[in-house]
Amino acid sequence: MNAESVVRFVRTRREATVLAMLVLVFIGLTFASEFFLTGRNLSNVARQISVVGIVALGQALVIIAGGIDLSVGSVIGLSAVTAAIVSATTGMPSLGIAGAIGIGMAIGFANGVLITKLRINPFITTLGTLSIARGAALLITNGNPQRFDNWAAFLGYGKIGDIPVQFILLVVLTILVWLFATRTRWGRNVYAVGDNARAARLAGIDVAKTRILVFTVSGSLAGLGGLLLGGMLTNANPNLGLGYELDVIAAVILGGVALSGGRGSIGGVVIGAALIGLLRNAFVLLNVSGYWQTITIGLVVILAVGADSLNRRSEED
Amino acid sequence: MTDCLLSARGIAKSFDQNRVLHGVDFDISAGQVVALLGENGAGKSTFVNILSGALPRDGGTIRWGGEETVFRDTRSALDAGIIHIHQELSLISSLSVMENLFIGDYMTGRSGLIDRKALAARARELLARVGAGHIDPRVEAGSLSTAEQQIVEIAKALARNARLLILDEPTASLTPHEAEALFAIVRDLRAHGVAIIFISHRFDEVFAISDRVVVLRDGRVVGDRPVAETTRAGIIADMTGRAFTFDALETPVIAEDAPVRLKADAIADKGRVGPVSFALRKGEILGIFGLVGAGRTELLELLCGLRPLAGGTITRPDGVVPRSSTEAWRSGLALLPEGRKTNGILPSLSLAENVAVAKRQKSGGVLDLGAEKSLFARFHEALGIVCSGPGQPIRRLSGGNQQKVIFARCLASEPDILFLDEPTHGVDVRTKADIYKQIQDLAKKGMSVVFVSSELPEVLALASTVMVLSRGRQTLLAANRGLTENDVLTAAFAQA
Repeated sequence: MNAESVVRFVRTRREATVLAMLVLVFIGLTFASEFFLTGRNLSNVARQISVVGIVALGQALVIIAGGIDLSVGSVIGLSAVTAAIVSATTGMPSLGIAGAIGIGMAIGFANGVLITKLRINPFITTLGTLSIARGAALLITNGNPQRFDNWAAFLGYGKIGDIPVQFILLVVLTILVWLFATRTRWGRNVYAVGDNARAARLAGIDVAKTRILVFTVSGSLAGLGGLLLGGMLTNANPNLGLGYELDVIAAVILGGVALSGGRGSIGGVVIGAALIGLLRNAFVLLNVSGYWQTITIGLVVILAVGADSLNRRSEED
Repeated sequence: MTDCLLSARGIAKSFDQNRVLHGVDFDISAGQVVALLGENGAGKSTFVNILSGALPRDGGTIRWGGEETVFRDTRSALDAGIIHIHQELSLISSLSVMENLFIGDYMTGRSGLIDRKALAARARELLARVGAGHIDPRVEAGSLSTAEQQIVEIAKALARNARLLILDEPTASLTPHEAEALFAIVRDLRAHGVAIIFISHRFDEVFAISDRVVVLRDGRVVGDRPVAETTRAGIIADMTGRAFTFDALETPVIAEDAPVRLKADAIADKGRVGPVSFALRKGEILGIFGLVGAGRTELLELLCGLRPLAGGTITRPDGVVPRSSTEAWRSGLALLPEGRKTNGILPSLSLAENVAVAKRQKSGGVLDLGAEKSLFARFHEALGIVCSGPGQPIRRLSGGNQQKVIFARCLASEPDILFLDEPTHGVDVRTKADIYKQIQDLAKKGMSVVFVSSELPEVLALASTVMVLSRGRQTLLAANRGLTENDVLTAAFAQA
């Protein structure tokens, strides 16, 4: 790659803009806070990135396929309490893990079927399941947090060496989803469906199955996210993950995925999640009001997407 | 002419390298109905779109009421009184009839609010003028029938003081009775001095209501006569007689004993097309001709499993009758759909990706991206696709090259039967020639091809067998030996 093509790459790829922001924030924090580069803080950051990143991997597939999944935040809450209750009542934490991922998978599958078979718009379908899943979590717990501290919770709070287990999971899942998206027939079909669903159907792609698949993956990963979040806090609160879908969607958009479908890279999504995690950490370290953090994340999303679409326009005309 | 309402001289227009209009001259006076005829692609729509300001012209002048004018956009043409009613109606179905009638120009009272009573009263007046007093102006436009919506469109034109009304195939979806009612309105408008340009494919209507007939062919005016001096045969002769050379092509001869790849026996869908029967042999090229709306695309959809079969049977040697596009491709059928932009390309994906998307349907597991690139390279060469490389997004290519890529997608799946819906629509002459040659070579190698075309010379030059559809019915099926354009057009206009 020569210098010119590097510049072009940075100008035209949103994930490159976001990567530059990430590096800037990282360098800035290194100088601004003496605590930033400590092992303890970095592993905190890694944890913060992990759940958003893992759930964003599934969300990215959904958005690339031209949909959206608003239910992930509620699925996190429902799967966390499912993990706690199932492992407590059966005494088998492995069943708790299966239950958490299973409930997420079931909701994702239901989303996909409702969208493709009943032809309900994805926004509306997942807005509905957002409400249903949260209600179910509150109902089965009567609104009370559940103790969750068996070995299944280890996935959430545990470390291998200095590295949080959930961060390792993020890395492994990123590689798997990236392989799926770029090197498998189904993965490439996701892009085709999101880019032009009619043309994809006429070219022989089973559009409905592809859509059901991405929603099922998204639900499953949100289920895993709930397990990790509950485990990290050793306490499964039915309100866990409230509003999480917004962070997840922001990470996906920052990662360069087009909300209109058909475009986006899996690597970019992890970069987006990392930027959001790092910004959250920055506000804690710099002792700035948490309210500012919410405003800043909104500004960053608008800035990144705005810069990107300005560049894109000058490229295309 | 001194009393000319509109006088166009030397109107020229090109899309990319493709010249669509070569200096069209056209006059129309107040109170005159002029029929504008021509084959699909002759330039009728482009021409009227220039008159109504929807397209900029490349050359020529337009005089409106004696003054030279440039309509920069539809707004300025509308203000002058040129109203173009498109074939697809453009009422906003969720708004009421009266809101549609006065859209953009609501009468507001002193309060700044819309005066619904005044609006309704004025709407009733207008509707009565077009003989549609029975329509309640307060109902949603979407609840009206197609014919009623058409009439509301005309009332809307009156609301804007139309002086020139352009009707683009207004009767395409009307019953004969509804069409007659529409003509009564047209005659009344003419009596009130409105000039009307009438585009139609139905000759009986042309003879019934127009004063003059103008025929376009390949972007040129080839006939301009008072209706009394024209005949059906004369118009057909004007419309065809095309100067495109097909000399290099020879229609292949199919052996009588060539195996049958697909047999359709009285197949039909729910009302749009059928019954249709034919047998397609190995190496045969079946050309399907018909006017727009004759059910050609629907027939291909029926054969490719995209449209449910309501009657008849399809027989194939392997016994597979596809019920979805996925099954069709898997069983050795390939479809190049009509409408490259909406149905063909995956715009932001790469060229290699656009080709491989169908080929993958036959393989599984982890993809070999290198093999996909070399797959593209093969067709890149064979079809002469002009591009910067396999990674280029397809939307950056010209229309003709995009079409070649979609063609490559079909060939990559190595089908037994290739279905092509308007394969040369909107592509330049060179690409056309390339595509014709490919089709013939493929047939020689034993592929069966079914293609739909609106270009008659193309059908006659390429097909070994010709089928004609008219309003969903099969009106001709014959070997392409000694068939004339006249035979085919007569079948296409048949009222079967």
